[in-house]
Amino acid sequence: MEPTLDRKSRIALLVEHFESPRHKGTLESADVVVPGGSPECGGSVTVYLKGDGNGEVESMTWTGQGDIISMGSTSIVVDRILNENLTMDEILDEDYEELIDSVGRDIIRNRTRHATLGLSTIKAAVRAYKKQLARR
Amino acid sequence: MTEQEIQDKGYANPDALVSTQWVADNLDDTENFRIVESDEDVLLYDIGHVPNAVKIDWVEDLNDPLMRDYLDPEHFANLMAEKGISPDTTVIFYGDRNNWWATYALWVFRLFGHDNVKVMDGGRVKWEAEGREMTQEVPSFPRAEYPVPERDDSEIRAFREDVEQHLDTSGPLVDVRSPGEYKGELLHMPDYPQEGALRGGHIPGAANVPWARAVREDGTFKSADELRGIYEGEAGLSGGEDVIAYCRIGERSSHTWFVLSYLLGYDNVRNYDGSWTEWGNLVRAPIER
Repeated sequence: MEPTLDRKSRIALLVEHFESPRHKGTLESADVVVPGGSPECGGSVTVYLKGDGNGEVESMTWTGQGDIISMGSTSIVVDRILNENLTMDEILDEDYEELIDSVGRDIIRNRTRHATLGLSTIKAAVRAYKKQLARR
Repeated sequence: MTEQEIQDKGYANPDALVSTQWVADNLDDTENFRIVESDEDVLLYDIGHVPNAVKIDWVEDLNDPLMRDYLDPEHFANLMAEKGISPDTTVIFYGDRNNWWATYALWVFRLFGHDNVKVMDGGRVKWEAEGREMTQEVPSFPRAEYPVPERDDSEIRAFREDVEQHLDTSGPLVDVRSPGEYKGELLHMPDYPQEGALRGGHIPGAANVPWARAVREDGTFKSADELRGIYEGEAGLSGGEDVIAYCRIGERSSHTWFVLSYLLGYDNVRNYDGSWTEWGNLVRAPIER
C-alpha cells in the first residue's frame, strides 16, 4: 500500500476492500477461531487461523460485520499478511500506528479502534494458536 | 412514504418526521433547511450522500476532545456557523443504522436549544433503497450567524445523581441495550476496553427494550400504536412519568428518547448518557441481573 495516496484514493481503497473483501469466509480446518470487537459498535471480526506448527501461517480467513473502516482495514491487513507471507512472530510485531498511517490517519482520526480491530484480533488469534501449540 | 402516511401513523408530533419524498422535494431550499447526515460509519458520507447534505460526525464534531462531555456552546455556535446553520434554520437529520446517530446528533442540538429539528423517516437506508440521487459533492454554504447559545442539560439529559434519585423514588428506567448486555452476559467487549464496564447487568428496576424495536425493516419508525404496545404494553412506561433511558454510552438511548418524546409525546424523558460505562464501573452502584 502506498502511504502517499491522497485522501480520496485511500477512501476508495477502503471502500473497494469493504465491497470485495479478501480472504473472507470461515475456515473449517482452522486451529483457532478468535472473535473480537462488538457488532453493536464499530464492528466485529472473527479470525480463523491455521498454522504449520513451525511459526508460519498456513492459512487465515476472517468473517465480520461493521463499518467501512473496520471491515476495509481488516481485509487490507489480512491480504498483506498473506501476500507477504508474514510469520506468526512478524504478525505480533506489526505496529498499530503504522497501520493507521497506511490506511490514513486523516480518515480514521479518532476511530483508531475500528482501524485496528482486524489486526488486534489477528494478533489475539496468533497468541491463542501459540498457547494451544505449547499445550500439545 | 408521504407526509400523509406519516400523519396516519398517529404520532403525538408528526411534524418531527419528514419523508424521503419531502427531502427530495425540498433539498434545494438551503435558505430554510439544512440536511445533516450523521452516521456511525463515518465514510458513508464521503462515498455518497443526499445532495446538499452536510456531515456532522458525532465523534469529531459533537464531543469535547478532552473531557467526557459534549462540545461547549462556543464550539457549537462555530460548528453551526460553519455548516451554514442559523438559529432559524430547520435541521433535517438522517443517517445509517435506522437513524441511530441522527437522533443522537438531534439530541445534542436540543441541549443547545436548537429546537427546529426533524428526522427523515427511514434514514439513509430508505433513501438508498428508493434509488434516489446520491452525490459525493460536498456543499458549501455561506458562514451563518449563530450567537453562542446557552446549553441546558437539565431537561433532556440525566446525570448519575439523577439516576440515583430516580432509584430512590422507583422512577421508570428503560435500558435499550441488547438482552445479552442487559442480563450481564456480555461483561466486556474485546478491543473496546474504554467502552466496557467492570460489572455486567442493568440498573435495578429498568425495563429492557432494545432500541431498534422502534423501527420497521425498511428503517421507518413503527406506528404510534405499535410503539405504545412495546413501551407501554410490554415495558410498562407511561407518558405522564419521568422516564430515564440509557444504554452503553448514551447513543442508542437517544433514539429511544426521540421515540418517547416526539413520537409518543412523553413530557419528561431524559437520556442518561453516562449509561452503563459509568454505572457498571461505579463503586457500590446497585446492579440487577
